[in-house]
Amino acid sequence: MSCKKFRILLSAYLDREITKDKEKELLNHLNTCVDCARELEYLKQIKRMFILKGKKEPQEFFETRLLELIKNKRKQLIWQSYFPVIKRTIVVILIFFLIIAGWVNYKKLLYHRTTETISDLLVDEEIDENFQEELLVTYYSPLK
Amino acid sequence: MEEDFELLAKFKKGDHRAFESLVRKYKMAVFNTIYSIIGDAQEADDIAQEVFLKVYTKAGSFKRKSSFPTWLYRITVNRCLDELRKRKNKIISLETEFDQDEKLKLKDVLASKEGDITEELKRKELEDIVQKAMNSLPERDRIILTLKEMEGLSYKEISQIMKISLAKVKVWLFRARQKLKGKLSFLYPQE
Repeated sequence: MSCKKFRILLSAYLDREITKDKEKELLNHLNTCVDCARELEYLKQIKRMFILKGKKEPQEFFETRLLELIKNKRKQLIWQSYFPVIKRTIVVILIFFLIIAGWVNYKKLLYHRTTETISDLLVDEEIDENFQEELLVTYYSPLK
Repeated sequence: MEEDFELLAKFKKGDHRAFESLVRKYKMAVFNTIYSIIGDAQEADDIAQEVFLKVYTKAGSFKRKSSFPTWLYRITVNRCLDELRKRKNKIISLETEFDQDEKLKLKDVLASKEGDITEELKRKELEDIVQKAMNSLPERDRIILTLKEMEGLSYKEISQIMKISLAKVKVWLFRARQKLKGKLSFLYPQE
């Protein structure tokens, strides 16, 4: 096995994620290869650097701030959960009004047309006179 | 692990104290993972809050296919990736130059025994230097190094969180360490 492959194994060895056989093979190689042994020391140093670095604390009152955020989010979620219902209701109301408006308009139109016809017959005196004349012409002209 | 499942089950039934217990237990892990990947403490704090908010709203959809921490780390890493993608339009320099003072401090700290670093100032200095080196790495390397070195997760857990094979975890970690070593080359004068 080449040094390059042993270097990949070194990383896994450092993390204790290596099989017993591979570990044995690697340790034998480390006994004979100075460069790989030195590489292992460098990797250990990097690992140590992370351990020494330690962990950082989040900012103060993390839980309190989180609970406040959740409280606000819940209000938003409640409103959002109602939103589709509100949207559907508005659409239904609009359709209802459109139907009603259409029906009222139709009725108005119908009424207007009917009254117009009747008024045409009953109110327009000139037409009535013409009609009378026509009647006279029709019935009495042959006798003339 | 069973304790986490029990707390989650209680929370699903409406016990908010169970959720608070989960937050107390994992806030450090979540915050430090984000901080190590993003590199900004203030932003890490905000994102950590968002992560727990997501846990709060999505807890009902959690199945026992993975452990709770794996699920939590996956949410955390995905949120970090979103944040890093948002920043992609901005110009971020991956070049890191350590000044002489930083180099000496790091050498000094690493040469000292572990007991010497209890000093808060030294720890802070080391933290800044390590974070500077981490910030200079590509996002994939930052994530895998964080999960291994900061959180001490196993290769199996990392493969589940990052959704990659175990072989890839091995190779990616090796490469990430090589890159980090390159950034800290001043520590190895003999090479």
